Amino acid sequence: MSATAHAAADPEHGLEESKFQIYVQIAMLLAVITGIEIITVYLPFDRWILFTVLVAFSAVKFLFVIFFFMHLRWDLPFCTVLFFIGLVLAGGTMWALLQLFGAEASKPLSSAYLETPRWVATG
Amino acid sequence: MSNTASGAIDHHFDPTTSTGIPNKKLLMWAFLASDCMFFGCLISTHLIYRLHPPPGVPAARQVFSIELTSFSTFILLMSSLMMALAVNAIQKGNLKSLRASLLTTIFFGCIFLGCQVFEFNNFVYEKHLTITNSILGTTFFTLTGTHGCHVAVGVFWLMLMYIRTFQPRDTTSDRRWFLRNVVHIVAFIATILLGMYLVLGLVRAFEASGVAVGTVLHYVRSYIAAILGIAVSGTGLKLLARTRGPVGFDESNAIDVEMMGLYWHFVDIVWIVIFTVVYLLEYI
Repeated sequence: MSATAHAAADPEHGLEESKFQIYVQIAMLLAVITGIEIITVYLPFDRWILFTVLVAFSAVKFLFVIFFFMHLRWDLPFCTVLFFIGLVLAGGTMWALLQLFGAEASKPLSSAYLETPRWVATG
Repeated sequence: MSNTASGAIDHHFDPTTSTGIPNKKLLMWAFLASDCMFFGCLISTHLIYRLHPPPGVPAARQVFSIELTSFSTFILLMSSLMMALAVNAIQKGNLKSLRASLLTTIFFGCIFLGCQVFEFNNFVYEKHLTITNSILGTTFFTLTGTHGCHVAVGVFWLMLMYIRTFQPRDTTSDRRWFLRNVVHIVAFIATILLGMYLVLGLVRAFEASGVAVGTVLHYVRSYIAAILGIAVSGTGLKLLARTRGPVGFDESNAIDVEMMGLYWHFVDIVWIVIFTVVYLLEYI
């Protein structure tokens, strides 16, 4: 790990100077993507296409921020692994919750059911 | 962080730790990983009730204002840029640039918070969406309010870091620095709160009476105490932001600024997800 980091240190010294330009360019790119996202919701395409596009744009913005603004690109890989452990666990929890609550038995009660007396509904 | 043979500090490698990563940075990444799970649960709760809404839930599309949210998203992105530039500045030992970048980040953070206060106010009083009267209100206010609290903590941390940059190198010879710092913090908080109060008041006045000279004059008369207050606290800030001799904040403190930067960028990436999941997906 140490050797890798030191090998990366020399070219990085020159990179420090150009980081300003990198940050500004990325911020502009993120602003443009945000603008495109807002326009996208008004486009007359199928919902699944718009959904995919919006999620993809969001993921691109997310990755740009963590790898450039948060320096994961230049830091040791352990930081990336640590953060992605949390991210994968969070994503897995979200997926599991959405699946669980999407199941038929878990759906919230309908208004018709709520208005029916409990003894009638349960038979 | 390590001092290499040339004397320059390597900000991405610390040979004194077993991982090669500065302990503070490792701590922050571990915290952010845990915070991902926290926000993941809040976002999924909101999504569950949006996908399977109980009866009587108001239409989110009629409640939300995409223009205001887009503006605050843009502001938060720009604050992230300024935060990255602040870290870059201190890594080069440029204290003046660091202070300017920190102040701009605080300014953008306050605009974001102001937009959120305005939005919440609008939802509660105009759209009649409260945290208790529908499940949409409950999940929405809990999620975005928690994010807003993170932003407020971030602004407070940024403010403390900015004030920290004025701490004298030799604190034993300048015994009044602590008192000065306390006054600096009070003046800063007063300026931020009064500034937000005044801007929100102006927006409300324009909404009620339209953009006109008469509206502005009435606004000045109504808010004269707050205007005088911000003038006093602002002057205090200007006077306190002066260095008296060498300061004890330099390139070796870059890790502290970087740690704070990681937190601030995390707040930004959470908003990137919230903006898409909570707001934009309602419009397709």
